[in-house]
Amino acid sequence: MGVAWGLRDIVLRDGVKMVIFAGKGGLGKTTSSAALAYAAAREGKKVLCFSTDPQASLSDIFERDIFGKGEVEVMPNLYVVEIDADAKINAYIQEVKQRIREMYKMDQIPPEIEAYIDSSVAEPAMYESATYDAMAEYVARGEYDLYVFDMPPFGHGIRMLTMADVLTSWVEKLTEVREKAREYDEIARKLRSERLVKEDEILNELYDIRRKLTTFTDVMRDRSKSAFFMVMTPEAMSVYDTEKALEAFKAIGIKPAGVVLNKVLPREMADNPSPYIRNRYRQQEEVLKMILDKFGDLVVAAIPMFPREPKGLDGIREVARHLVDGVTRIW
Amino acid sequence: MEKEKGGLLSKLKRVLGEVTYGAALHGQVSAVLKTRMYIEHMFILMILGDMLGFPILPPYYSLRLLPYAVPNVQSWKHRFYRERDFTDVIYG
Repeated sequence: MGVAWGLRDIVLRDGVKMVIFAGKGGLGKTTSSAALAYAAAREGKKVLCFSTDPQASLSDIFERDIFGKGEVEVMPNLYVVEIDADAKINAYIQEVKQRIREMYKMDQIPPEIEAYIDSSVAEPAMYESATYDAMAEYVARGEYDLYVFDMPPFGHGIRMLTMADVLTSWVEKLTEVREKAREYDEIARKLRSERLVKEDEILNELYDIRRKLTTFTDVMRDRSKSAFFMVMTPEAMSVYDTEKALEAFKAIGIKPAGVVLNKVLPREMADNPSPYIRNRYRQQEEVLKMILDKFGDLVVAAIPMFPREPKGLDGIREVARHLVDGVTRIW
Repeated sequence: MEKEKGGLLSKLKRVLGEVTYGAALHGQVSAVLKTRMYIEHMFILMILGDMLGFPILPPYYSLRLLPYAVPNVQSWKHRFYRERDFTDVIYG
């Protein structure tokens, strides 16, 4: 293969602001995210590694309790966030209620309004929305050189990314309606010869939401600013899943920058005395042919199966050598 | 006397202004405000449709806008649930 091997040339160049790792659960998205974030931080970039996966555990891999603690600096330039979406939603709900009480000097919120607010916590999409909002907020604030997002497993990952389009067009529509209302306020003001029309705070809120969402989606959709990777393992089931996922992502207009192969059995396993391991290796060779046939140049890095689970900064550094510098070549 | 004259003039001016407004503009202002109300209610429907059983969108951002809509929720629901007949076509 004459293509670049390892993520260095694709990601650690100027202009790339966002990297997304997607794929089925348990295949190595979190490990890849941590390793890339580590390598970028070592190169001097200020990096935010953000887990959107409710099952992911950046806490485990970094061996630090970071869940729900906001941005935690795990080494110079490397900040990690593991969002506690439930806590974020609850805090948000309390804030909305408090705002209503303060705005209208109420001790008690009208029961139907309160019931509506409370019931919306149970909405299935609330979790994704809160996580998506947190991602967009970080990118819109622009305090980091690189954002690495560890996406939730495949189905939720798709939903999370399609949310970009849905929310943006919804906010656009709301803004349009609100601006229309504003025009009517203006006409009424002129007809009544009034001097001022009071400021529309809803419109200001909408502009703020729109700014945040469009900053995020603009970066996400710009191939020179973002890179999207699928993570898979050399197993037939993973090949089929990745194929389906790539089609689904293509349907929503997202083209991957590459596929990362994780847990690749090293060559020395071919001569292992254990028939169990030799068989697994032979099977992997067949699957690798299938992967070459189906994905070819799209495969950009391979991470070997390590003798022990990579954890802590030492483990992450080892993964980064393979993921970023392409130490392991498979063809 | 001068002061009284000035007061009378300004009163006359105001009355004339009000008569002109009533005769020429009041209808237009009412129509504008009515359309404005429809737009407001449509807006509330877009953010709080769930309240009436229209699952329009995830409520995350709706909740951010909800505090501003609170005073209009009652009239919006009232108008939405109101029985309608053919005269609504004529009188809105």
